[in-house]
Amino acid sequence: MKVQISSVRTIRELGKISLLAGSLSLGLSGMAQAETFRIGITQNNVGVDSYQTTYEQAFEEAADEADNVEVVVLDAGGDVARQISQVRNLIQQQVDVIIIWPTDGQAVVPAINGAKNAGIPVVVTNSNIAEAGQPLIAAFSGPNNIQQGAYAAEMMCDQLGGQGDIVQITGQPGYTTAIERQKGFEDRLPEVCPDVRILDSQPGDWNRAKAQRTMEDFLTRYDKIDGVYAADDNMGVGALNAAKSEDRADEIVFIGATNFAVGYEAMARGEYHGSVYQSPAEDARNALNIAIAVAQGKEVEKMSYFETPKITQENMDEFEKPVF
Amino acid sequence: MKALLDSFKPGFKGGEISALQFFGKHGISVAFVLCVVIFSLSTQKFLSTDNFLTVVMQASIIGTIALGVTFVVIGGNLDLSVGSLLSFATVLVVDLHDKVGPGMAILLMFVFTLLIGSVNGYLIGYLRLNSLIVTLGMLSAIQGITLVYSGGKNVDISDQTNTWFAFFGREELFGIPVPAIIFIVLGIVLQIVLLKSGFGRKIFAIGGNATASLFSGLRRNRLVFSTYLLSAFTTACAALILGSRVMGSQNNVGEGYELLVLAGVILGGTSLLGGSGSIARTVIGVLILAMIQNGLLLLGFPYYTQWLVTWVVIIVAVWLDIAAKRGKLFSTY
Repeated sequence: MKVQISSVRTIRELGKISLLAGSLSLGLSGMAQAETFRIGITQNNVGVDSYQTTYEQAFEEAADEADNVEVVVLDAGGDVARQISQVRNLIQQQVDVIIIWPTDGQAVVPAINGAKNAGIPVVVTNSNIAEAGQPLIAAFSGPNNIQQGAYAAEMMCDQLGGQGDIVQITGQPGYTTAIERQKGFEDRLPEVCPDVRILDSQPGDWNRAKAQRTMEDFLTRYDKIDGVYAADDNMGVGALNAAKSEDRADEIVFIGATNFAVGYEAMARGEYHGSVYQSPAEDARNALNIAIAVAQGKEVEKMSYFETPKITQENMDEFEKPVF
Repeated sequence: MKALLDSFKPGFKGGEISALQFFGKHGISVAFVLCVVIFSLSTQKFLSTDNFLTVVMQASIIGTIALGVTFVVIGGNLDLSVGSLLSFATVLVVDLHDKVGPGMAILLMFVFTLLIGSVNGYLIGYLRLNSLIVTLGMLSAIQGITLVYSGGKNVDISDQTNTWFAFFGREELFGIPVPAIIFIVLGIVLQIVLLKSGFGRKIFAIGGNATASLFSGLRRNRLVFSTYLLSAFTTACAALILGSRVMGSQNNVGEGYELLVLAGVILGGTSLLGGSGSIARTVIGVLILAMIQNGLLLLGFPYYTQWLVTWVVIIVAVWLDIAAKRGKLFSTY
């Protein structure tokens, strides 16, 4: 269905362009025609979570607003094989730039190599690919997850006043974002707060129900928990739920990442203490802008991170409530 | 010790029943006691009323679904669609909560979940399609419905602190968490239905020998249909608990639950070939799974080890079950 939508969209765009081209050739015959860039994107798995859904909408909106850009929007449905054939398809369509949201950072590398051999630059979005593929890409656009983990460590340190015992709930095991956030947090914490100890660390799979269950077991195991770091707010709110039903939420500092609507609301109620604000819309716009710059042959930063600031109860008024 | 080993041999005459037959009958209870003893000795936190109630509460979602699925399996079929049906029902009830209020949301959720369950039941009961294929297909189809319905977004109850919907997942009655009460009460009722009612006896009959039961005038199609309706009903109850516990839902929240549910049912000794099984033992099977995960986490085991141990236990249980039926531990041919 996704492909259908995007092809409808392509036809519409093509119609628009031919009209434009027609009027140009009628009115300004002889003058150089404005150059149109064709940018193809293959996303990871739109529809599984709000972040990816919002990203896609924002990407299409940004493409509508941009001049002289035509986009082919595809979705791999979480399937590496499908993503690889989508890349091949985009190469055949001879788009100017390919944007990839990798389903698997390792397995897509040969496909990226294929694009490079065909002379089409590749921009990786949101989550990075394996080391081996780094020389092959034009740029990476996305959040700096290591930095996000470090931010979370700093907020935890501030809120705890420098000492305490905490537990960590990580994301999906093996997923780059999860690994990087954990690394950023665990590297930064001892630098800013040598007296904060991580008692335990278990994965919550980006799943609130799972995180809630894990937190229940943590609460049984440890009589004193001063803080919880969850790799996203969805899991953070699960941990908060567990602590509330044990009447232990008041004594615990909750720090998350990727501010979700529920996390934002819990922060407004004073139950949740900090998170990292990451806008999918900004993620999408950043990817499109980088791709356009690449298509125009401009120099771009190899690692192009967008801003993901700290959000706490104190400064939350400066941020819009997330839509996911 | 020698007597015990001898008792595994086929021609064992030592006592009334061999060790294998004993395992076949009481293996699950022995495993349950073993788990309790091992975890109690290795971590002080394990053996406490609070932790036991936590385990029952954690088992309640998988467990409630497993109650209905036990009927399906005894009837000689499988239901692999319960995981995505749980996602669907949870997304539906949480989303409708804000739109039409909790009472109406619960009612509508039950109606639509039973409707999907009856599609399963119709295809398998009346059209006689293979249950493995049908429910595997439904697994993806229901996932699709859920994604279309939610537009790919997570759903949350907007006012998380002030709704009576919280009762099903977060409250306690007489110091016992409500999810645990729902699970246990439903378990007792369904055990009585299975053992004491005509309906229960007929389910055993169609699972044990479909042809014979047809000749004896049982309406197999209608009976199979009702088992799927029952598994949709228990899945809806589980969605009520899950939605209320989490106060929100992701589109894939029940992903993989179908295997854990099936594991619980099989651990309880219900035969995958149909015709035998028990609700009480399914409950114990599910509790063992929850206990292993809780116990290993209390011991500080890493994540992967927890899964490894869980599945080793399941495989050993299936092995002992088969061994008890054929009368020896190893197949010689």
